[in-house]
Amino acid sequence: MMHIAVERLLDGVVRTLTEAVLPAVTTPYARGQLYAAVDVLRNLRDRVEPRADHAAEESAAATAALENAGAALATAAPALAAELRAALAAVPAAPPHARAAAARTIMADALEALAALPADVTRAARRPLAEHLGAQALRDLAPLKPSLLAEISRG
Amino acid sequence: MDGGSDHDLRGRLASFLARALGADEVRVAALTRSTEGFSQETFRADVEIGRGGAREAQSWIVKREPVAGLLEPYDLEPEFRVLHALSDDPFPSPPTPWFTRDPAVLERPFYVMRCLPGEVPIPAPTADGRGPFSDAERGALGPAVARTLAALHAIDWRQRGLDFLGDPGAGRTAAARELERWEARLRASALAADPALTAALVWLRAHVPDCGERTLVHGDYRLGNFLIVRDGAHSQLTGVLDWEMVHLGDPLEDLAWCASPLWRAGTAYAAALLPPEDFIAAYAAASGRTVDPDRLRFYDVLALVKMIAIMHTGIRAFADGRTDDLRMAIFDHQLPFLMILLATTLDFFSGGAE
Repeated sequence: MMHIAVERLLDGVVRTLTEAVLPAVTTPYARGQLYAAVDVLRNLRDRVEPRADHAAEESAAATAALENAGAALATAAPALAAELRAALAAVPAAPPHARAAAARTIMADALEALAALPADVTRAARRPLAEHLGAQALRDLAPLKPSLLAEISRG
Repeated sequence: MDGGSDHDLRGRLASFLARALGADEVRVAALTRSTEGFSQETFRADVEIGRGGAREAQSWIVKREPVAGLLEPYDLEPEFRVLHALSDDPFPSPPTPWFTRDPAVLERPFYVMRCLPGEVPIPAPTADGRGPFSDAERGALGPAVARTLAALHAIDWRQRGLDFLGDPGAGRTAAARELERWEARLRASALAADPALTAALVWLRAHVPDCGERTLVHGDYRLGNFLIVRDGAHSQLTGVLDWEMVHLGDPLEDLAWCASPLWRAGTAYAAALLPPEDFIAAYAAASGRTVDPDRLRFYDVLALVKMIAIMHTGIRAFADGRTDDLRMAIFDHQLPFLMILLATTLDFFSGGAE
């Protein structure tokens, strides 16, 4: 999941490079390379989007977890189970990012609703949701590169 | 600094310091911005003070409100009042004599504090995985950090006039107030729904602990806000910095924050100094408190939610175009690291914590 739109992210990088970095770059070759980087980023902004396959994988896994939770509630909390089924039926067929966002909202709402019921009634329904959240945390982490936080902090 | 040439700003700061110090003349020889703070703007001012024909070199730290940042909206005055009140206390906070909202000086409100000796080791992992300290330094600093935290919590906040921070009262209100503070910040950021975060909030609401006492709580007592003088087994904690989240509340909130995996710099040690259980035991011994594990667990989880809320604030500021500081943008891809910690702490991998 990305909270910052790719266009805004690249616009911010371009502005920082031109306004905060460029004035401190003094050699002609380095300045030329920096301008080239800015040119690449400005033209990349309208030609890329977040990975659709990642969103599709997330929405499939989330939907399965929500279906399992609904099944576990069928007897103990039939009204909530019906709400879950209706919400899942209303998830848009496409695009993948919209499906994943809808599944996240349904799951967040389901977790709030489960919290209002006795723990022993909801334990079996909470389990597939928690396991999905753990698996999704690992999926979200997988593409990330080692952090440069030390270098960013030191400057 | 923005909003005028560097020369103009140095001149205005020099005039401010000359009035504050009662000096004949002050010259700001160097004004350097720190890269370490992600929130307030921090500058070191090296100054020459002329008084009665004599000249003296001093260094001061200037903390200025940022235009946008991780803890917006900003108000520097409460932390200034705390630091000012503690300026004559043995606790190692920087003596902080002056605050002004006058925009004629540095455009935005700022306060000035003494520059204490030492360096600020950062909580980022090192390439060799050993963290920022040698074994000898850890041996000296680990107990010192625990003792200093106990000393902070022993400060008589009523006697120091710090009740303006707002006594949360007895019972569950201290923990409930902090949870609400960070939930409100998450709501204000209004980022897209994240069910892992919802699961954490649901768990926290169900486990709000009773707090038997209220103390001064630093709110950001952790590696990265410690000023250290390295000298092997004689290393010293010379300052505790960044008081912008100071409040009255449960002392275990600071203990959990300091021991959190957030600040271990890639090591297995609380604050990269001591095994977490040893750090907690050292704090318990120094403070005379019994550390209730259930209460501490609440603050363990709250620490992660608090950090996520801070990151959401930065992401929102960047996404809205109120800042182009790319350090805010990186939080968007740092969040998954936090989510792994949350998943581990709340046992998502084995069906979720009760």
